[in-house]
Amino acid sequence: MDVGRSIPYLGDMTQIPVTVLTGYLGAGKTTLLNRILSEDHGQRYAVIVNEFGEIGIDGELVVGADEEVFEMNNGCVCCTVRGDLIRVLHGLMKRQASATRGFDAIIIETTGLADPGPVAQTFFVDEEVKARARLDSVTTVVDAKHVLLSLSESREAREQIAFADQIVLNKTDLVSEDELRMIEGRLRRLNPLAAIHRAVRSQVALAAVLGRGGFDLERIVALEPEFLNPAHGEAGHVHDEDCDHDHHDHHDHGHAGRLHADDIKGVSLTLAAPVDGVKMTRWLNDLLAAQGPDILRAKGIVNVAGESRRLVFQAVHMMLEGDLQRPWREDETRESRMVFIGRKLDAARLKAGFEACAD
Amino acid sequence: MAHAMNFAFEAYVTEIVADGGHAAYALGDGSLVWDDGARAEAHDGAILCAARHPSGDGVITGGDDGRLVWSRRGETQVLADLPRRWIDSLTVSVASGLIAFSSGRDAHVLDAKAGEFRRVFAHEASVAALAFDPKGRRLAAATYGGVALWYARIAEQKPVMLRWAGSHVGLIFSPDGRFLVSSMQESALHGWRLADAKDMRMGGYPAKIRSLAFLGDAWLATSGANGAVLWPFVGANGPMGKQAMEIGWDETALVTRVAGDARGHHLVVGLDDGRIWACHLASEKRVTLKAEKGASICALAVLAGGVAAWGDEDGGAGLIDMASA
Repeated sequence: MDVGRSIPYLGDMTQIPVTVLTGYLGAGKTTLLNRILSEDHGQRYAVIVNEFGEIGIDGELVVGADEEVFEMNNGCVCCTVRGDLIRVLHGLMKRQASATRGFDAIIIETTGLADPGPVAQTFFVDEEVKARARLDSVTTVVDAKHVLLSLSESREAREQIAFADQIVLNKTDLVSEDELRMIEGRLRRLNPLAAIHRAVRSQVALAAVLGRGGFDLERIVALEPEFLNPAHGEAGHVHDEDCDHDHHDHHDHGHAGRLHADDIKGVSLTLAAPVDGVKMTRWLNDLLAAQGPDILRAKGIVNVAGESRRLVFQAVHMMLEGDLQRPWREDETRESRMVFIGRKLDAARLKAGFEACAD
Repeated sequence: MAHAMNFAFEAYVTEIVADGGHAAYALGDGSLVWDDGARAEAHDGAILCAARHPSGDGVITGGDDGRLVWSRRGETQVLADLPRRWIDSLTVSVASGLIAFSSGRDAHVLDAKAGEFRRVFAHEASVAALAFDPKGRRLAAATYGGVALWYARIAEQKPVMLRWAGSHVGLIFSPDGRFLVSSMQESALHGWRLADAKDMRMGGYPAKIRSLAFLGDAWLATSGANGAVLWPFVGANGPMGKQAMEIGWDETALVTRVAGDARGHHLVVGLDDGRIWACHLASEKRVTLKAEKGASICALAVLAGGVAAWGDEDGGAGLIDMASA
């Protein structure tokens, strides 16, 4: 397991950027993919698809892969990777030499039912994949008309939202503005970090999807505490404008509410005092070791005592990667921010643990 | 180094095959280039695997264009064509004249002397590597959860499954056929003594083991560490209960490739910083063959006459006469 081991650079130019497109069947993934491939941006993409669907894919280099989730034989239950991706990425790298690059970036389109965890973890676990490719971002495409139903019914649909760096809320012409706001509220509670882009027929600015450079960390800084509002069915839930709960239907809430109550939520933490880097690493390692299976993603910017640069980390389940990046700017508030997205998250305990890391 | 020769191919060197005293470089741009300048445009895409033809004449390559191609100077012949698939592993047996290759979950077997012969063996997960036993009668296929052992010529059969949790990515039989060793995703080797399917765990590696080579019957050399790792395979128990030897340990580099000469007297080792060294096993004398650093060495072979052929990830390649090093 790679807990605590840092990689030298998050944005190393020798690493090929990889964009993951996920989302339910019919949400508009392939339409978005074909837009990316057909637009005149001068980039050559290698595309990895899990099934050659009904809609053809227009790329020159399209590779089929069978979704194969492998458990790593290291005693860690949540440590799963996509064996097919490791194999295909190794093969694709044979088309790359510094004098002749066969492609500039890679797009992976997953099936609608794919668990995004193993896809993301592949980029942490396999050394050769890690050396040659980096996960640029995960885009989840959802269909505004059907998203609420699929979120209620499917664990995969919720996880695809939880893992997203950005969400394309597609087919917005099929629902009302009120419904859209309700949907956005629900999506934000599942994943407070992902930017949501409304779209019709997957028409979204490609810059919102491609070349995101890891993940949109600045969103952590911009986050409002509003999503700390506990989910439906939990103590302390406050109905607000983002609330997707049907207010006219209270008597029905018990049973249906339990089904609807998202098991996944985001917890955001802020700490003004500088933190002790060693203490914080230990706390994160222990936390991920104990709760890794329930923590889908975590991201943070940390103000380490005595360090002029920002410590940036991200985690997928038990895998943690951290790196000292650029120096803090004069105009920035030097404070630590982190977000956990997962199940069974105890916000008060997380807060106490984080605060105990103060220098 | 009086006798050295360099090439710049501008494409990843997938594999080097010794073809009648010459090195044939199988490249990521689909071409096969011999060290005397002969060239075959074998694939429309990258070559993913290569091996010498069992007849000793020419080279077989598998590509991401789904083709298996036999290339000789001035002549190429398509042996198999699986549109939209990749052929990503390949092995041959000189003893039986069989050729085996994998695509996805299937292992295919061809007979070099009987063009119509074809067997297809299906697995539950993708096949990552193949190996024939020394007689070329049994075929081992590395997959997720273990290794399947097939009788290569028999059409209908259930394979013997050697199960071990995890993803198996590389395979080699000991030259006496008593042991089978796989390399795993988890940076470890797993071995089986075939007589009783007894498991052997060989771990402690800092990196994934991409390269395995037997030096005679006695030693298995592997990559995946800061030095070349040598496991003893003498006696009834092979490496069981024994320690591996690590030679040429270097804190600053990882071994990516190992290759031995035909008699098992010399070991040649390629590093991830582009350097290459060789070791004469009996005298333990180590010599540097390539001191200049560069891209990671990803292909290595020893030709007849003691010439080391190398290739790197950036298309750098060359020949070095080990006697003059």
